[in-house]
Amino acid sequence: MSEPLVFMMGEFEALFPTDRKYVTNHMWAIETDRAVAANGGVDAAPAADASITNGGATHRFGFTAYAVRLLQDVYFLEWTVEAGDRLQHRQEMGAIESKKAESALYAPTSGRLARFNDALLTDPSTINVDKYGDGWLFELETETDDLMSPEQYLEHLAAVWEVTQRTIKGQLNE
Amino acid sequence: MANRIAVVVSQGQSQNPAKRGLEEDIIAALLMESGIDVTVIPHLYDLKADGTGMLALDGIKGNVIVLSWLYERAARWVLDRNGIRGAEGQTLIRMADDDEDEDEEEELDDGKPRVIDHRPVPKRRIYCVDLRVHNKAQPYVDEIKRIAEENQQKLVQLGDWIQGDPSPAAMQRFQQPTNDTALGGGSLPIVSASPSSAAAEVPANGTLADGQPAAGDPNPGKSDPGNGAAEGPTPARPVGDAFVADVVRIEEDGTRRWYPVIDFSRCTNCMECIDFCLFGVYGVDGAETILVEQPDNCRKGCPACSRVCPENAIIFPQHKTPAIAGSPVTVGGLKIDLSRLFGAPEDGKSAVEIAALERDEQLMIAGRETVGMSVGIRKRQSDQPAEPKDDLDDLIDALDDLDL
Repeated sequence: MSEPLVFMMGEFEALFPTDRKYVTNHMWAIETDRAVAANGGVDAAPAADASITNGGATHRFGFTAYAVRLLQDVYFLEWTVEAGDRLQHRQEMGAIESKKAESALYAPTSGRLARFNDALLTDPSTINVDKYGDGWLFELETETDDLMSPEQYLEHLAAVWEVTQRTIKGQLNE
Repeated sequence: MANRIAVVVSQGQSQNPAKRGLEEDIIAALLMESGIDVTVIPHLYDLKADGTGMLALDGIKGNVIVLSWLYERAARWVLDRNGIRGAEGQTLIRMADDDEDEDEEEELDDGKPRVIDHRPVPKRRIYCVDLRVHNKAQPYVDEIKRIAEENQQKLVQLGDWIQGDPSPAAMQRFQQPTNDTALGGGSLPIVSASPSSAAAEVPANGTLADGQPAAGDPNPGKSDPGNGAAEGPTPARPVGDAFVADVVRIEEDGTRRWYPVIDFSRCTNCMECIDFCLFGVYGVDGAETILVEQPDNCRKGCPACSRVCPENAIIFPQHKTPAIAGSPVTVGGLKIDLSRLFGAPEDGKSAVEIAALERDEQLMIAGRETVGMSVGIRKRQSDQPAEPKDDLDDLIDALDDLDL
Protein backbone atom coordinates (compact mmCIF):
# COMPACT_ATOMS: atom_id res chain seq x y z
CA MET A 1 0.00 0.00 0.00
CA SER A 2 1.35 3.41 -0.88
CA GLU A 3 1.84 6.12 1.67
CA PRO A 4 -1.34 7.65 3.03
CA LEU A 5 -2.19 11.20 2.03
CA VAL A 6 -1.91 13.89 4.66
CA PHE A 7 -4.12 16.86 5.38
CA MET A 8 -3.08 19.33 8.04
CA MET A 9 -5.95 20.33 10.33
CA GLY A 10 -4.11 23.12 12.03
CA GLU A 11 -1.36 21.28 13.86
CA PHE A 12 -3.04 17.94 13.46
CA GLU A 13 -1.92 15.55 10.76
CA ALA A 14 -4.93 13.73 9.35
CA LEU A 15 -3.96 10.63 7.35
CA PHE A 16 -5.95 9.11 4.51
CA PRO A 17 -5.03 5.67 3.19
CA THR A 18 -4.94 5.44 -0.58
CA ASP A 19 -6.38 1.92 -0.77
CA ARG A 20 -9.94 3.21 -0.62
CA LYS A 21 -12.35 5.84 -1.80
CA TYR A 22 -13.97 8.73 -0.01
CA VAL A 23 -17.26 10.60 0.29
CA THR A 24 -17.80 14.31 0.89
CA ASN A 25 -19.48 13.66 4.22
CA HIS A 26 -16.14 12.47 5.57
CA MET A 27 -16.54 8.75 5.27
CA TRP A 28 -14.22 6.33 3.55
CA ALA A 29 -15.50 3.47 1.43
CA ILE A 30 -13.79 0.26 0.47
CA GLU A 31 -15.21 -2.73 -1.36
CA THR A 32 -16.14 -5.31 1.22
CA ASP A 33 -13.86 -8.13 0.12
CA ARG A 34 -10.94 -5.75 -0.03
CA ALA A 35 -11.94 -4.37 3.36
CA VAL A 36 -11.65 -7.82 4.84
CA ALA A 37 -8.30 -8.31 3.19
CA ALA A 38 -7.13 -4.92 4.38
CA ASN A 39 -8.24 -5.88 7.84
CA GLY A 40 -6.01 -8.91 7.98
CA GLY A 41 -8.50 -11.40 6.52
CA VAL A 42 -10.69 -11.67 9.60
CA ASP A 43 -14.40 -11.00 9.61
CA ALA A 44 -15.29 -12.94 6.49
CA ALA A 45 -19.04 -12.93 7.07
CA PRO A 46 -20.55 -12.11 3.71
CA ALA A 47 -23.10 -9.35 3.42
CA ALA A 48 -26.56 -10.84 3.63
CA ASP A 49 -28.43 -11.64 0.45
CA ALA A 50 -26.34 -10.12 -2.26
CA SER A 51 -28.94 -11.02 -4.89
CA ILE A 52 -30.86 -7.76 -4.48
CA THR A 53 -28.02 -5.56 -5.66
CA ASN A 54 -28.21 -3.79 -8.97
CA GLY A 55 -24.82 -4.93 -9.92
CA GLY A 56 -23.17 -2.27 -7.77
CA ALA A 57 -20.50 -3.33 -5.31
CA THR A 58 -20.93 -3.64 -1.58
CA HIS A 59 -18.81 -1.06 0.18
CA ARG A 60 -17.81 -0.84 3.76
CA PHE A 61 -17.98 2.70 5.15
CA GLY A 62 -16.30 4.36 8.09
CA PHE A 63 -15.29 7.78 9.37
CA THR A 64 -12.19 9.43 7.97
CA ALA A 65 -9.44 10.83 10.15
CA TYR A 66 -10.90 14.25 9.46
CA ALA A 67 -14.28 13.29 10.92
CA VAL A 68 -12.76 11.47 13.88
CA ARG A 69 -10.53 14.41 14.68
CA LEU A 70 -13.55 16.68 14.78
CA LEU A 71 -15.55 14.24 16.85
CA GLN A 72 -12.82 13.11 19.22
CA ASP A 73 -13.91 10.43 21.70
CA VAL A 74 -17.11 8.85 20.47
CA TYR A 75 -19.55 8.19 23.30
CA PHE A 76 -22.66 7.06 21.56
CA LEU A 77 -23.76 5.80 18.19
CA GLU A 78 -27.22 4.84 17.07
CA TRP A 79 -28.88 3.91 13.82
CA THR A 80 -32.40 4.86 12.85
CA VAL A 81 -32.57 2.61 9.81
CA GLU A 82 -32.26 -1.16 9.65
CA ALA A 83 -30.19 -3.59 7.69
CA GLY A 84 -32.00 -4.27 4.43
CA ASP A 85 -33.40 -0.75 4.13
CA ARG A 86 -32.89 1.09 0.89
CA LEU A 87 -31.34 4.49 1.57
CA GLN A 88 -31.37 7.60 -0.51
CA HIS A 89 -28.21 9.65 -0.71
CA ARG A 90 -28.17 12.00 2.30
CA GLN A 91 -31.10 10.28 3.97
CA GLU A 92 -30.83 10.57 7.73
CA MET A 93 -29.76 7.21 9.07
CA GLY A 94 -28.61 7.69 12.64
CA ALA A 95 -26.88 9.87 15.16
CA ILE A 96 -23.58 10.14 16.92
CA GLU A 97 -22.45 11.82 20.09
CA SER A 98 -18.86 12.40 21.00
CA LYS A 99 -16.84 14.38 23.48
CA LYS A 100 -16.80 17.38 21.19
CA ALA A 101 -19.81 17.12 18.98
CA GLU A 102 -23.12 15.65 18.16
CA SER A 103 -24.56 15.08 14.78
CA ALA A 104 -27.14 13.25 12.79
CA LEU A 105 -25.66 10.84 10.31
CA TYR A 106 -26.62 10.71 6.66
CA ALA A 107 -26.33 8.09 3.96
CA PRO A 108 -23.11 8.68 2.04
CA THR A 109 -24.71 7.49 -1.18
CA SER A 110 -27.83 5.64 -2.30
CA GLY A 111 -28.10 1.93 -1.85
CA ARG A 112 -29.34 -0.94 0.25
CA LEU A 113 -27.92 -1.18 3.71
CA ALA A 114 -26.33 -4.60 4.08
CA ARG A 115 -25.32 -4.55 7.73
CA PHE A 116 -24.04 -2.46 10.57
CA ASN A 117 -20.94 -2.97 12.61
CA ASP A 118 -22.90 -4.05 15.67
CA ALA A 119 -19.83 -4.13 17.88
CA LEU A 120 -19.78 -0.33 17.81
CA LEU A 121 -23.17 -0.09 19.47
CA THR A 122 -21.75 -1.39 22.72
CA ASP A 123 -18.30 0.11 22.31
CA PRO A 124 -18.19 3.00 19.87
CA SER A 125 -14.66 3.89 20.98
CA THR A 126 -13.37 1.45 18.37
CA ILE A 127 -14.06 4.31 15.96
CA ASN A 128 -11.28 6.21 17.71
CA VAL A 129 -8.99 3.25 18.09
CA ASP A 130 -9.14 1.86 14.57
CA LYS A 131 -11.11 4.16 12.31
CA TYR A 132 -9.88 2.62 9.07
CA GLY A 133 -10.27 -0.97 10.26
CA ASP A 134 -12.43 -2.41 13.05
CA GLY A 135 -14.08 0.96 13.54
CA TRP A 136 -16.04 0.64 10.29
CA LEU A 137 -19.66 1.76 10.48
CA PHE A 138 -21.76 -0.17 8.00
CA GLU A 139 -21.81 -1.89 4.65
CA LEU A 140 -23.88 -0.55 1.83
CA GLU A 141 -24.68 -2.04 -1.56
CA THR A 142 -23.95 1.04 -3.54
CA GLU A 143 -25.96 1.81 -6.66
CA THR A 144 -23.80 4.40 -8.32
CA ASP A 145 -20.11 4.91 -8.44
CA ASP A 146 -19.96 8.47 -7.18
CA LEU A 147 -17.16 7.90 -4.72
CA MET A 148 -14.11 10.14 -4.70
CA SER A 149 -10.48 9.24 -5.03
CA PRO A 150 -8.24 10.13 -2.07
CA GLU A 151 -6.84 13.02 -4.07
CA GLN A 152 -10.29 14.37 -4.83
CA TYR A 153 -11.23 14.05 -1.17
CA LEU A 154 -8.18 16.02 -0.15
CA GLU A 155 -9.14 18.77 -2.58
CA HIS A 156 -12.59 18.72 -1.02
CA LEU A 157 -11.05 19.03 2.44
CA ALA A 158 -8.93 21.98 1.39
CA ALA A 159 -12.08 23.64 0.06
CA VAL A 160 -14.19 23.04 3.19
CA TRP A 161 -11.57 23.50 5.88
CA GLU A 162 -12.32 27.20 6.28
CA VAL A 163 -16.05 26.51 6.50
CA THR A 164 -15.40 23.73 8.96
CA GLN A 165 -13.46 26.00 11.25
CA ARG A 166 -16.23 28.55 11.10
CA THR A 167 -18.78 25.85 11.85
CA ILE A 168 -16.86 24.89 14.92
CA LYS A 169 -16.29 28.40 16.16
CA GLY A 170 -19.31 30.23 14.87
CA GLN A 171 -22.32 28.15 15.70
CA LEU A 172 -22.25 28.29 19.44
CA ASN A 173 -25.00 30.87 19.57
CA GLU A 174 -27.34 29.36 17.03
CA MET B 1 -10.58 35.34 62.53
CA ALA B 2 -14.32 35.81 62.48
CA ASN B 3 -14.22 36.91 58.91
CA ARG B 4 -17.88 36.57 58.18
CA ILE B 5 -19.08 35.63 54.77
CA ALA B 6 -22.40 36.47 53.22
CA VAL B 7 -24.45 33.81 51.47
CA VAL B 8 -27.24 34.91 49.18
CA VAL B 9 -29.87 32.38 48.20
CA SER B 10 -31.72 33.52 45.12
CA GLN B 11 -35.02 31.68 44.94
CA GLY B 12 -36.19 30.09 41.73
CA GLN B 13 -39.07 31.44 39.75
CA SER B 14 -40.98 28.22 39.93
CA GLN B 15 -42.86 27.02 42.95
CA ASN B 16 -41.59 23.53 42.29
CA PRO B 17 -41.50 21.98 45.77
CA ALA B 18 -38.28 20.17 44.98
CA LYS B 19 -36.54 23.45 44.21
CA ARG B 20 -38.01 25.25 47.18
CA GLY B 21 -37.06 22.28 49.30
CA LEU B 22 -33.45 22.46 48.18
CA GLU B 23 -33.27 26.17 48.93
CA GLU B 24 -34.74 25.70 52.40
CA ASP B 25 -32.54 22.69 53.14
CA ILE B 26 -29.47 24.74 52.34
CA ILE B 27 -30.68 27.67 54.43
CA ALA B 28 -31.51 25.38 57.33
CA ALA B 29 -28.08 23.76 57.19
CA LEU B 30 -26.34 27.12 57.07
CA LEU B 31 -28.11 28.14 60.24
CA MET B 32 -25.92 25.63 62.02
CA GLU B 33 -22.73 27.24 60.78
CA SER B 34 -21.00 30.11 62.42
CA GLY B 35 -19.64 33.08 60.57
CA ILE B 36 -22.23 32.98 57.83
CA ASP B 37 -24.90 35.55 57.12
CA VAL B 38 -27.72 34.36 54.91
CA THR B 39 -29.86 36.57 52.74
CA VAL B 40 -32.76 35.10 50.82
CA ILE B 41 -33.87 37.04 47.78
CA PRO B 42 -36.31 36.39 44.96
CA HIS B 43 -34.97 35.27 41.61
CA LEU B 44 -31.87 37.36 41.04
CA TYR B 45 -32.58 38.05 37.38
CA ASP B 46 -36.00 39.53 38.12
CA LEU B 47 -34.84 41.95 40.82
CA LYS B 48 -35.46 45.57 40.03
CA ALA B 49 -32.51 47.91 40.05
CA ASP B 50 -33.93 50.00 42.87
CA GLY B 51 -35.75 47.25 44.75
CA THR B 52 -35.01 45.97 48.25
CA GLY B 53 -33.30 42.88 46.86
CA MET B 54 -30.67 44.81 44.95
CA LEU B 55 -30.34 47.22 47.84
CA ALA B 56 -29.52 44.35 50.16
CA LEU B 57 -27.04 42.88 47.68
CA ASP B 58 -25.46 46.27 47.28
CA GLY B 59 -25.02 46.47 51.02
CA ILE B 60 -22.85 43.38 51.10
CA LYS B 61 -19.32 44.68 50.87
CA GLY B 62 -17.24 41.64 51.63
CA ASN B 63 -16.92 38.30 49.90
CA VAL B 64 -20.22 36.83 48.97
CA ILE B 65 -21.52 33.48 47.77
CA VAL B 66 -24.54 33.72 45.52
CA LEU B 67 -26.61 30.61 44.95
CA SER B 68 -29.13 30.91 42.17
CA TRP B 69 -30.95 28.92 39.53
CA LEU B 70 -28.76 30.48 36.90
CA TYR B 71 -25.52 29.55 35.26
CA GLU B 72 -22.60 31.00 37.19
CA ARG B 73 -21.66 33.29 34.34
CA ALA B 74 -25.21 34.52 34.03
CA ALA B 75 -25.47 35.23 37.75
CA ARG B 76 -22.11 36.95 37.80
CA TRP B 77 -22.95 39.31 34.97
CA VAL B 78 -26.47 39.99 36.18
CA LEU B 79 -24.86 41.16 39.40
CA ASP B 80 -22.32 43.15 37.44
CA ARG B 81 -25.07 44.86 35.45
CA ASN B 82 -26.46 46.02 38.77
CA GLY B 83 -23.17 47.39 39.98
CA ILE B 84 -22.42 44.48 42.27
CA ARG B 85 -18.88 43.70 41.31
CA GLY B 86 -15.94 41.75 42.52
CA ALA B 87 -13.33 39.31 41.40
CA GLU B 88 -14.66 35.97 40.26
CA GLY B 89 -14.52 33.47 43.09
CA GLN B 90 -13.74 29.94 41.99
CA THR B 91 -16.26 27.41 43.11
CA LEU B 92 -15.84 23.68 42.90
CA ILE B 93 -19.50 23.11 42.14
CA ARG B 94 -19.79 22.91 38.43
CA MET B 95 -21.92 21.29 35.82
CA ALA B 96 -20.59 17.91 34.86
CA ASP B 97 -18.01 18.72 32.30
CA ASP B 98 -16.57 15.43 31.35
CA ASP B 99 -13.44 16.65 29.78
CA GLU B 100 -10.69 18.24 31.70
CA ASP B 101 -8.30 18.38 28.81
CA GLU B 102 -5.84 21.15 28.40
CA ASP B 103 -7.35 21.99 25.08
CA GLU B 104 -10.31 23.40 26.94
CA GLU B 105 -8.06 26.18 28.07
CA GLU B 106 -7.59 27.56 24.62
CA GLU B 107 -10.69 29.70 25.10
CA LEU B 108 -10.34 33.41 24.61
CA ASP B 109 -6.59 33.34 24.57
CA ASP B 110 -6.43 35.11 21.29
CA GLY B 111 -5.00 38.34 22.61
CA LYS B 112 -8.04 40.42 21.76
CA PRO B 113 -8.57 43.21 24.26
CA ARG B 114 -11.60 42.56 26.41
CA VAL B 115 -13.61 45.19 28.20
CA ILE B 116 -12.79 43.59 31.55
CA ASP B 117 -9.07 44.28 31.01
CA HIS B 118 -9.41 47.95 31.77
CA ARG B 119 -12.17 47.83 34.29
CA PRO B 120 -11.42 48.26 37.96
CA VAL B 121 -12.78 45.45 40.09
CA PRO B 122 -13.41 45.86 43.81
CA LYS B 123 -11.15 43.85 46.06
CA ARG B 124 -13.57 41.19 47.04
CA ARG B 125 -14.69 37.93 45.60
CA ILE B 126 -18.09 36.93 44.36
CA TYR B 127 -18.73 33.20 44.17
CA CYS B 128 -21.65 32.27 41.97
CA VAL B 129 -23.06 28.79 42.38
CA ASP B 130 -25.64 27.17 40.14
CA LEU B 131 -28.37 25.41 42.15
CA ARG B 132 -29.14 23.11 39.25
CA VAL B 133 -25.91 21.17 39.60
CA HIS B 134 -26.97 19.01 42.54
CA ASN B 135 -30.39 18.22 43.91
CA LYS B 136 -29.18 17.71 47.46
CA ALA B 137 -28.26 20.44 49.90
CA GLN B 138 -25.12 18.82 51.29
CA PRO B 139 -22.74 19.52 48.40
CA TYR B 140 -23.72 23.18 48.52
CA VAL B 141 -23.29 23.40 52.27
CA ASP B 142 -19.90 21.71 52.00
CA GLU B 143 -18.83 24.12 49.28
CA ILE B 144 -19.99 27.14 51.27
CA LYS B 145 -18.02 25.88 54.25
CA ARG B 146 -14.99 25.37 52.05
CA ILE B 147 -15.23 28.89 50.71
CA ALA B 148 -15.79 30.29 54.19
CA GLU B 149 -12.67 28.46 55.30
CA GLU B 150 -10.74 29.76 52.31
CA ASN B 151 -11.72 33.21 53.47
CA GLN B 152 -10.41 32.54 56.93
CA GLN B 153 -7.13 31.20 55.67
CA LYS B 154 -6.54 34.29 53.63
CA LEU B 155 -6.82 36.31 56.76
CA VAL B 156 -4.59 34.02 58.76
CA GLN B 157 -1.90 34.18 56.15
CA LEU B 158 -1.96 37.94 56.33
CA GLY B 159 -1.35 37.86 60.06
CA ASP B 160 2.32 37.24 60.64
CA TRP B 161 1.83 36.25 64.24
CA ILE B 162 1.66 32.61 63.37
CA GLN B 163 5.14 31.20 63.19
CA GLY B 164 5.91 28.11 61.23
CA ASP B 165 3.46 25.80 59.58
CA PRO B 166 0.58 24.64 61.67
CA SER B 167 -0.66 21.18 60.88
CA PRO B 168 -3.91 21.05 58.97
CA ALA B 169 -5.61 19.65 62.02
CA ALA B 170 -4.35 22.47 64.19
CA MET B 171 -5.41 24.95 61.58
CA GLN B 172 -8.82 23.38 61.49
CA ARG B 173 -9.10 23.52 65.27
CA PHE B 174 -7.99 27.12 65.22
CA GLN B 175 -10.41 28.18 62.55
CA GLN B 176 -13.37 26.26 63.77
CA PRO B 177 -13.02 25.71 67.50
CA THR B 178 -15.45 23.07 68.51
CA ASN B 179 -14.94 23.47 72.23
CA ASP B 180 -17.64 25.90 73.09
CA THR B 181 -15.96 27.04 76.24
CA ALA B 182 -13.26 28.74 74.24
CA LEU B 183 -13.83 31.79 72.09
CA GLY B 184 -17.43 30.80 72.05
CA GLY B 185 -19.08 34.09 71.41
CA GLY B 186 -16.39 35.30 69.10
CA SER B 187 -17.96 34.10 65.96
CA LEU B 188 -21.45 33.36 67.15
CA PRO B 189 -24.04 35.68 65.82
CA ILE B 190 -26.40 34.95 68.68
CA VAL B 191 -25.23 38.13 70.33
CA SER B 192 -26.56 40.03 67.37
CA ALA B 193 -29.20 42.55 68.17
CA SER B 194 -30.86 41.96 64.85
CA PRO B 195 -34.39 40.68 65.31
CA SER B 196 -33.99 38.44 62.33
CA SER B 197 -31.62 36.12 64.11
CA ALA B 198 -34.37 35.14 66.45
CA ALA B 199 -36.59 34.62 63.48
CA ALA B 200 -34.25 32.12 61.96
CA GLU B 201 -36.83 29.43 61.90
CA VAL B 202 -39.70 31.71 61.07
CA PRO B 203 -39.83 32.02 57.35
CA ALA B 204 -40.89 35.06 55.40
CA ASN B 205 -39.89 37.73 57.80
CA GLY B 206 -40.83 40.19 55.13
CA THR B 207 -38.54 43.00 54.22
CA LEU B 208 -35.78 44.27 56.38
CA ALA B 209 -36.64 45.58 59.77
CA ASP B 210 -35.45 49.09 59.17
CA GLY B 211 -34.77 49.08 55.47
CA GLN B 212 -31.10 48.64 56.16
CA PRO B 213 -29.24 45.94 54.34
CA ALA B 214 -28.46 44.12 57.52
CA ALA B 215 -26.97 41.06 55.89
CA GLY B 216 -24.49 43.22 54.14
CA ASP B 217 -23.22 44.73 57.30
CA PRO B 218 -20.95 42.30 59.01
CA ASN B 219 -21.35 44.26 62.19
CA PRO B 220 -17.72 44.49 63.21
CA GLY B 221 -18.51 44.89 66.87
CA LYS B 222 -19.82 41.41 67.34
CA SER B 223 -17.12 39.79 65.30
CA ASP B 224 -14.29 41.30 67.27
CA PRO B 225 -12.03 38.41 68.08
CA GLY B 226 -11.52 37.97 71.73
CA ASN B 227 -14.68 39.49 73.04
CA GLY B 228 -15.98 36.00 73.53
CA ALA B 229 -13.01 35.20 75.68
CA ALA B 230 -13.41 38.44 77.53
CA GLU B 231 -16.92 37.44 78.46
CA GLY B 232 -15.58 34.27 79.89
CA PRO B 233 -16.74 30.80 79.08
CA THR B 234 -20.31 30.71 78.00
CA PRO B 235 -22.42 27.86 79.20
CA ALA B 236 -23.20 25.26 76.60
CA ARG B 237 -26.39 25.94 74.77
CA PRO B 238 -28.44 23.69 72.57
CA VAL B 239 -26.79 23.70 69.20
CA GLY B 240 -29.88 24.64 67.24
CA ASP B 241 -30.21 27.67 69.42
CA ALA B 242 -26.62 28.76 69.76
CA PHE B 243 -25.35 28.43 66.25
CA VAL B 244 -28.00 30.34 64.40
CA ALA B 245 -26.87 32.59 61.62
CA ASP B 246 -28.57 35.72 60.55
CA VAL B 247 -31.18 35.06 57.93
CA VAL B 248 -32.70 37.99 56.15
CA ARG B 249 -35.56 37.31 53.82
CA ILE B 250 -36.39 39.82 51.19
CA GLU B 251 -39.51 39.84 49.12
CA GLU B 252 -40.31 41.78 46.03
CA ASP B 253 -43.36 41.53 43.85
CA GLY B 254 -42.30 39.09 41.24
CA THR B 255 -42.67 40.46 37.79
CA ARG B 256 -40.72 38.45 35.28
CA ARG B 257 -38.09 40.40 33.44
CA TRP B 258 -36.25 39.75 30.18
CA TYR B 259 -33.05 41.53 29.24
CA PRO B 260 -29.50 40.77 28.15
CA VAL B 261 -26.42 40.97 30.32
CA ILE B 262 -22.95 41.38 28.91
CA ASP B 263 -20.05 39.17 29.87
CA PHE B 264 -17.28 41.75 29.86
CA SER B 265 -14.63 39.08 30.11
CA ARG B 266 -15.61 38.24 26.53
CA CYS B 267 -16.91 41.54 25.18
CA THR B 268 -14.52 43.40 22.91
CA ASN B 269 -16.70 46.50 22.67
CA CYS B 270 -17.20 45.89 18.96
CA MET B 271 -20.65 47.51 19.00
CA GLU B 272 -22.33 44.93 16.79
CA CYS B 273 -25.12 44.56 19.35
CA ILE B 274 -25.90 48.26 19.51
CA ASP B 275 -26.00 48.38 15.72
CA PHE B 276 -28.26 45.36 15.52
CA CYS B 277 -30.81 46.01 18.25
CA LEU B 278 -33.57 48.31 17.01
CA PHE B 279 -35.26 48.62 20.38
CA GLY B 280 -32.74 50.85 22.11
CA VAL B 281 -31.56 48.36 24.70
CA TYR B 282 -27.89 49.15 24.32
CA GLY B 283 -26.01 52.34 24.98
CA VAL B 284 -22.50 53.45 25.85
CA ASP B 285 -21.15 54.81 29.08
CA GLY B 286 -18.94 57.85 29.54
CA ALA B 287 -15.91 55.87 28.45
CA GLU B 288 -17.61 54.70 25.26
CA THR B 289 -18.01 51.20 26.62
CA ILE B 290 -21.08 49.25 25.62
CA LEU B 291 -23.69 48.72 28.27
CA VAL B 292 -27.23 47.43 28.59
CA GLU B 293 -28.70 50.86 29.05
CA GLN B 294 -32.43 50.20 28.86
CA PRO B 295 -32.90 46.57 29.80
CA ASP B 296 -36.66 46.88 29.94
CA ASN B 297 -36.82 47.97 26.31
CA CYS B 298 -35.82 44.43 25.44
CA ARG B 299 -38.42 42.30 23.68
CA LYS B 300 -39.50 39.34 25.76
CA GLY B 301 -38.11 36.08 24.45
CA CYS B 302 -35.93 37.66 21.80
CA PRO B 303 -32.25 36.64 22.05
CA ALA B 304 -31.30 37.98 18.63
CA CYS B 305 -28.46 40.27 19.71
CA SER B 306 -26.72 37.40 21.47
CA ARG B 307 -26.66 35.54 18.18
CA VAL B 308 -24.95 38.37 16.33
CA CYS B 309 -22.37 38.88 19.06
CA PRO B 310 -19.10 37.59 17.58
CA GLU B 311 -17.73 36.77 21.03
CA ASN B 312 -20.79 35.09 22.53
CA ALA B 313 -20.60 37.72 25.23
CA ILE B 314 -24.32 38.45 25.50
CA ILE B 315 -26.23 36.31 27.95
CA PHE B 316 -29.98 35.88 28.21
CA PRO B 317 -30.07 33.92 31.43
CA GLN B 318 -33.57 32.57 30.85
CA HIS B 319 -33.10 31.39 27.28
CA LYS B 320 -33.53 27.69 26.63
CA THR B 321 -30.29 27.37 24.67
CA PRO B 322 -27.49 26.83 27.19
CA ALA B 323 -24.93 28.79 25.19
CA ILE B 324 -27.21 31.84 25.18
CA ALA B 325 -28.17 31.39 28.82
CA GLY B 326 -24.53 31.57 29.88
CA SER B 327 -23.67 27.90 30.09
CA PRO B 328 -20.48 27.45 32.12
CA VAL B 329 -18.99 25.06 29.62
CA THR B 330 -16.24 26.84 27.84
CA VAL B 331 -16.18 27.47 24.16
CA GLY B 332 -14.11 24.40 23.51
CA GLY B 333 -16.30 22.21 25.66
CA LEU B 334 -19.65 22.89 24.10
CA LYS B 335 -20.76 20.18 21.79
CA ILE B 336 -20.83 21.35 18.26
CA ASP B 337 -23.28 20.13 15.70
CA LEU B 338 -21.40 18.53 12.85
CA SER B 339 -24.55 17.57 10.98
CA ARG B 340 -23.88 19.89 8.12
CA LEU B 341 -20.40 18.50 7.66
CA PHE B 342 -21.79 14.99 7.73
CA GLY B 343 -24.29 15.73 5.01
CA ALA B 344 -27.34 17.39 6.55
CA PRO B 345 -29.45 19.21 3.97
CA GLU B 346 -28.47 22.86 3.67
CA ASP B 347 -31.74 24.26 4.94
CA GLY B 348 -30.22 25.43 8.17
CA LYS B 349 -29.96 29.11 8.80
CA SER B 350 -26.94 30.89 10.15
CA ALA B 351 -27.09 32.52 13.56
CA VAL B 352 -27.30 35.94 11.95
CA GLU B 353 -30.18 34.87 9.73
CA ILE B 354 -32.06 33.49 12.71
CA ALA B 355 -31.35 36.71 14.59
CA ALA B 356 -32.75 38.81 11.75
CA LEU B 357 -35.90 36.69 11.69
CA GLU B 358 -36.32 36.99 15.45
CA ARG B 359 -35.85 40.72 15.22
CA ASP B 360 -38.42 41.01 12.41
CA GLU B 361 -40.87 39.05 14.50
CA GLN B 362 -40.46 41.52 17.35
CA LEU B 363 -40.68 44.50 15.02
CA MET B 364 -43.95 43.12 13.69
CA ILE B 365 -45.35 42.56 17.18
CA ALA B 366 -44.38 46.13 17.98
CA GLY B 367 -46.21 47.32 14.86
CA ARG B 368 -43.08 48.39 13.06
CA GLU B 369 -41.68 47.66 9.62
CA THR B 370 -39.53 44.60 9.30
CA VAL B 371 -35.98 45.11 8.11
CA GLY B 372 -34.68 41.61 7.43
CA MET B 373 -30.94 41.53 7.01
CA SER B 374 -30.71 45.14 5.80
CA VAL B 375 -30.06 46.93 9.07
CA GLY B 376 -27.30 46.70 11.61
CA ILE B 377 -25.62 43.57 10.34
CA ARG B 378 -21.99 44.15 9.77
CA LYS B 379 -20.64 42.95 6.49
CA ARG B 380 -18.35 40.15 7.37
CA GLN B 381 -15.81 39.71 4.66
CA SER B 382 -13.67 37.13 6.29
CA ASP B 383 -15.02 34.56 3.87
CA GLN B 384 -14.31 36.72 0.82
CA PRO B 385 -11.09 36.34 -1.09
CA ALA B 386 -8.77 39.27 -0.68
CA GLU B 387 -8.82 41.59 -3.65
CA PRO B 388 -6.46 44.32 -4.72
CA LYS B 389 -7.13 47.63 -3.00
CA ASP B 390 -9.43 49.94 -4.87
CA ASP B 391 -9.68 53.73 -4.68
CA LEU B 392 -11.92 53.61 -1.65
CA ASP B 393 -9.47 51.40 0.22
CA ASP B 394 -6.67 53.80 -0.61
CA LEU B 395 -8.73 56.70 0.67
CA ILE B 396 -9.47 54.91 3.94
CA ASP B 397 -5.80 54.00 4.33
CA ALA B 398 -4.84 57.61 3.74
CA LEU B 399 -7.32 58.73 6.38
CA ASP B 400 -5.97 56.17 8.81
CA ASP B 401 -2.48 57.47 8.23
CA LEU B 402 -3.39 61.06 8.99
CA ASP B 403 -1.66 62.16 12.13
CA LEU B 404 -4.49 63.84 13.98
